Amino acid sequence: MNKESKMMRWLNERYNLSLIEHFAEEKKVPHFRGSFWYYFGGVSLFLFIVQVVTGILLLMYYQPGAQTAYESVRFIVMKVQFGWLIRSIHSWSANLMILSVIIHMFSVYFTKAFRKPRELTWYSGFILLALCLTFGFSGYLLPWNTLSYFATKVGTEIVGVVPFVGKPVMEVLRNGSDVTTATLTRFFALHVAVLPALFTVILGVHLLFIQVQGISEPESWKYLPESKKSHIPFFPNFVLRDVLLWLIVLNVLAILAVYFPWELGHKAEPFAPAPIGIKPEWYFLFMFQSLRFFPPKLLGVDGEVLGISLFGLAGFLWFLVPFWDSKTSKGSRNRIVNYVGIGVVLYIIVFTVIGARAK
Amino acid sequence: MMDVPSTGKMSRRTFLDYFLGLSVVAWLAAVLYPIIDYFRVPPQTEAAPSSVVAGSVKDFKPNSGKVFRFGNEPAILVDTPDGKLEAFSAVCTHLQCTVQYRPDMQRIWCACHGGVYDLNGRNISGPPPRPLTGYKVAVKGDDIVVSKS
Amino acid sequence: MKKIIIFLVFLAVIALPNVSNARTQEKKPVDKCLSCHTDIGSDEAASYMSDVHFKAGVTCAGCHGGNASVEDQDAAMNPKKGYIGVPKPSAIPQMCGKCHGLARTTFRNEYHLDDVVDQFMSSVHGRALNQSSDGPTCISCHGIHNIADVSSVKSPAYPTNVPKTCAKCHSNPDYMKKFNPGLPVDQYEKYLTSVHGERNEAGDPKPATCVSCHSNHLIRPVKDPRSPVYPTNIPETCARCHSNKAYMAEYHIPTDQYENYKQSVHGIALLQNSDLSAPACNSCHGNHGAVPPGVSSVASVCGTCHQANADLFDKSVHRAAFAKAKLPGCVVCHSNHLVKPPFDAMIAFDGGGVCGKCHKNMTSDPAAGAIIAIRWTLDSLTRGRKDAEALLSRAEQLGMDVSDAVYSLKDVNQSLVEARVQVHSFAATSVESAAAPGLKIVAGAQKSALAAVDEYYFRRHGLGVATLIITLLAVLLFLKIRQIERRNKG
Repeated sequence: MNKESKMMRWLNERYNLSLIEHFAEEKKVPHFRGSFWYYFGGVSLFLFIVQVVTGILLLMYYQPGAQTAYESVRFIVMKVQFGWLIRSIHSWSANLMILSVIIHMFSVYFTKAFRKPRELTWYSGFILLALCLTFGFSGYLLPWNTLSYFATKVGTEIVGVVPFVGKPVMEVLRNGSDVTTATLTRFFALHVAVLPALFTVILGVHLLFIQVQGISEPESWKYLPESKKSHIPFFPNFVLRDVLLWLIVLNVLAILAVYFPWELGHKAEPFAPAPIGIKPEWYFLFMFQSLRFFPPKLLGVDGEVLGISLFGLAGFLWFLVPFWDSKTSKGSRNRIVNYVGIGVVLYIIVFTVIGARAK
Repeated sequence: MMDVPSTGKMSRRTFLDYFLGLSVVAWLAAVLYPIIDYFRVPPQTEAAPSSVVAGSVKDFKPNSGKVFRFGNEPAILVDTPDGKLEAFSAVCTHLQCTVQYRPDMQRIWCACHGGVYDLNGRNISGPPPRPLTGYKVAVKGDDIVVSKS
Repeated sequence: MKKIIIFLVFLAVIALPNVSNARTQEKKPVDKCLSCHTDIGSDEAASYMSDVHFKAGVTCAGCHGGNASVEDQDAAMNPKKGYIGVPKPSAIPQMCGKCHGLARTTFRNEYHLDDVVDQFMSSVHGRALNQSSDGPTCISCHGIHNIADVSSVKSPAYPTNVPKTCAKCHSNPDYMKKFNPGLPVDQYEKYLTSVHGERNEAGDPKPATCVSCHSNHLIRPVKDPRSPVYPTNIPETCARCHSNKAYMAEYHIPTDQYENYKQSVHGIALLQNSDLSAPACNSCHGNHGAVPPGVSSVASVCGTCHQANADLFDKSVHRAAFAKAKLPGCVVCHSNHLVKPPFDAMIAFDGGGVCGKCHKNMTSDPAAGAIIAIRWTLDSLTRGRKDAEALLSRAEQLGMDVSDAVYSLKDVNQSLVEARVQVHSFAATSVESAAAPGLKIVAGAQKSALAAVDEYYFRRHGLGVATLIITLLAVLLFLKIRQIERRNKG
């Protein structure tokens, strides 16, 4: 005790830590039946940290390039001490992170936490989700195996279908007209430099907004008197709970990595015929599956173009939910938001399942 | 702060704190051990990208050959007496032995049953039923790059 | 339809005035050409009297054109009336085909082959004729003015005459050079040394002649897959006679060679897998000089392909021993037409073993040690490889990457094949030294497989420890949270 306070005093004299202390003491988190969902933001943050750590570790041995990408990942998995573990955790953690971010987004959506004054938090969160998906897409190619090669080929082809800007964007993404090792270099730069920098900045902004505004209270508390609202202190109660959950997630990660090591597959051979049943990662599956259901021509427009445009539009509307949800912000309930949300969740689940079962 | 705490509570708390601290240390060890071990120099210091780089131009003299690993199969690179580079699968088409270059015969030869291939990979004597699969050879800088054509 | 055909046939008959005359007049035509040319002492005219066509009533005009019924030379040999004189070689096949290309219209059916002209013209001989007027025509084999029935010994196409007939051109290097400079000209000479040739010389029409294997009118190049002497067709071609019990009865030789060959490693390679490097009958027996290889030459015959084995055998103790016992080399252990893929269990006293054929007594035989050692070496290599493969596949099933060790096992095959070749030295030490690298690789692969399995369990146990620590920490943290929250309430 004595030692601790001595150190605190030393720091306090120089940095006025009492401010932070004060902030931490004051900060409260609403405590209610649905507050479990509040933890997914923290879980996503934890998984991001895991990604950064394991990503840096992988970078110690990974070499991009036609003759080295696959071989170096193979080397990491086979020869480097615990390389298999680091690589498996990186892959599993990436998927869990996207899952956790998606759950986080829907929990924010259904608790209407995006409303005034938190619109900017929603927008920044949406951008973070988009960055996560880009992370996943770019990282998937890096081991340069058959599946990732063809998934990238199909994925970038879909980008190329977008009217007007599609083709040039696709060529910029691919760094050429086809997926080659030039694409690999570009994706590598994206994955380890551009995206982490962007992500960190936007994540910082996202967290800053939350700290400034405090955590959103549930809808049902609107007309509740202050005394009926139950809170727990952010520090240490909420933080410790967060840490507890992180530990559990870490455990799950370790078990997944050991029992279901992420497969390396075979080295990509650009001139080999595409294997049957190429599928994107599960989080793109619902879109991929929907595009397959589109007729080749619809109302004189190319079905694929129409599908992609519709998805673009839907994503944009979703992004803009704080705008069109204007009614609720004025106080009246807007059930449409809930119905849309449930519809979207059901749609994504159903099409992901269909996509996963499709041959 | 706590003037008269019950001794039982006090000891339980300190015990819990102590134990918690200990397990944090154990946890740190469990996490750091693989990470630190990860940096240990691996048995083979670098990833082996040579699945297609068969060797360096400098190491080759006309009328010589070298067997190297190509994917999961052995392959043979031959510098012919006229100084041309040719590469073939080194798997004999007879009984899957590994063939070798015989400078004295100026032929590719299989030690198992004396099968002989010419420097175009054609089976010209002995039991091999088919020619050797040819590969494409390109020289990039000093590297001899062999690829499936 | 039938009527139309009959009508067409009728038209064709009308269109052949000379022959149809011969048929319709029902009696010998008055061949004025023949009578005049006989008078002036022509050899051709004289020999035509014995020609099969003369007997059938074909006049000179049948081939030479003109009018055989008028005496006046100018009228009879008037080019405007169709007189040709000596037919151009290139026109001969069509000329003979006028009758012989029309089946079932005239004469006995067997001489009238629907497409004999087409057959001939698409054969190697037809091609040669197209290239040069020196090329072969019908008359090259069947004669000119003294053509005899092929079943008659007088015909140059009669079996006992066929070799000489073909040799007229094929043994003439100057002539053959014009058409196919690469083709050997020693076939006839070789043929005379063959069993077929000897019997043929002795007047037996049954043994194979040139046409038995190469066919007659439609002779194709040997490299043409449709040729009866194309490698994959040879066994069946030989079997046409050699598997025919009745036909071969008088020669007292077995007729099961083809059946055996079909099941042999060579037969399967050639006939089922179309592996042209696999031997057909002629690879061992020779083709034109076909004879059964003698006891002493078996090893050299097999050694033309199985070089390494033959070399080793030649240097081994068995060579002298077999020669002394008059045993036919390779065939003693591997059999002849029914050569099966060899297997390690052949090296044994009993069971499928071939050593026991001579080495009868396992306990007292001086070779027993070598036999047992060789077999043991091969077995330990195959067993070791199998064990290593099983271990590696277990490691793979556990999700461990052991592809380096799997790759290293590929060289075991090399060592094993070499060791199996060394068996033909019949010296245990040679087999052992050939097998040594393989045994080393096998040991290494087994070691890395075991290491991979160990690593697998290390991971599981490591996870167990880590999970335990994390869980402990989580539980303690949970207790701590409870404690803090209780304190806050209290």
